Amino acid sequence: MREFDFYSPTSVPEALELLRKYKDSNAIVAGGTDIVIELNERKHTPKVVIDIKRLKELEYIRFEDGLVKIGALTSHAAIAADPRIAERTRVLHTACAEVGSPQIRNLGTIGGNLSTASVAGDGVAAMVTLDASVVLRSKDGERTMKLVDFLNGEGYDKRNALQSDELMTEVFFTEPDAHTATAFYKLAKRKSLAISVIGGGMRCSVDDAGVVTAISLRGGCLGRYPLQFKAAEEHVLGKKLSLELLRETLPMMHDLVLDLNRNRPWSVFYKKESVQGVFNKLFVDILAQLNMEVGA
Amino acid sequence: MNKIKITCTVNGEAVCREVYPNQRLLDFLREELGLTSVKEGCGEGECGACTVIFNGEPVTSCCMLAGQAEGADIVTLEGLSKNGEMDKIQKAFIEVGAVQCGFCTPGMVLTAKALLDKNPHPTMDEIKLAMSGNLCRCTGYAKIHQAVAKAAAE
Repeated sequence: MREFDFYSPTSVPEALELLRKYKDSNAIVAGGTDIVIELNERKHTPKVVIDIKRLKELEYIRFEDGLVKIGALTSHAAIAADPRIAERTRVLHTACAEVGSPQIRNLGTIGGNLSTASVAGDGVAAMVTLDASVVLRSKDGERTMKLVDFLNGEGYDKRNALQSDELMTEVFFTEPDAHTATAFYKLAKRKSLAISVIGGGMRCSVDDAGVVTAISLRGGCLGRYPLQFKAAEEHVLGKKLSLELLRETLPMMHDLVLDLNRNRPWSVFYKKESVQGVFNKLFVDILAQLNMEVGA
Repeated sequence: MNKIKITCTVNGEAVCREVYPNQRLLDFLREELGLTSVKEGCGEGECGACTVIFNGEPVTSCCMLAGQAEGADIVTLEGLSKNGEMDKIQKAFIEVGAVQCGFCTPGMVLTAKALLDKNPHPTMDEIKLAMSGNLCRCTGYAKIHQAVAKAAAE
């Protein structure tokens, strides 16, 4: 590890002050599961490291005004252990419960997962499926943006919209209601300690007649950001939900994956097939949650 | 680079050290405190060999900076035996034969300890899930899981 000065602020304003002061060369460490390895391997050599693990005010899960608000420092383990999220927001529960290993889930934070914005980030795929928004704070104030815009943003390291004097403080999303089901399926090389090969996320709302009123189909690890299967979503929206209808979208998914990964032929053959398997599982899961006939 | 002061509890004893901040918790425990039961395996949080119990939770100490230990309560394998008597988990590992080369064993025992402290009578599925972050390249996992179950039954 290269030399750096180390600060451990105990309040958000103090952290923002430090981030501004050392704007030119800093690294934020929370859970550390990515950044400490980068520091140790000298892939990242900041002059100052700011440990935010002590900002207990950013560790919370709140249910307010139909929203679920999660403090950026909340660990994957804490999210996975929350009974209300397990019951109503299955996509997030499953993604957080299957990240890394028990040790990694104890350390790794949701804010870190979204800020690192790995292609294979399970939390990223789940939160995009939920159409979540993030709150970024700096000494100048606060800004809120959709997670998809955050991921596409041009911040200081081009990874996302985060500026070098900004801190992600919260992620929030609309809590799925009784007419909405969500699910996540992680395809990986083994059950534990595995990085996702595909992290499929699905959210589906129906009205009393079973007609689809909202749908989100997202695939993690299939592009720089969780891939939106837009044609598939449009095909399903406004129609009566059934397994047959959902399965009609599989060729569209197959084609999109094939299309987008033409320059990565080594992974296309596998991913174009497996994406169908992943979403087939999600379809069955969602229909079961909505108490609808799964059929054949 | 300025030194930082770390005050924490390690294996029940108060520790205060002034150190350079560019080291991991793993390095701090091994190099500064001489607690060499904490093993570096992959150094990437993938194998669990460096697991310690940090404020009651198992964590991989290769993923933490030394400075993050400030104020924490840390347990390493050295802290498990009392008055020369091994912990029941250590005894169960020996009795069942859950140790071969032994490199993963400290992390395994500590993960099991953190589990049994919270859940004294886990099911086999709970044991398997709790131990899923610790890799062993010698024994396979059957005997390790059996050892944890044996310790829980005592």
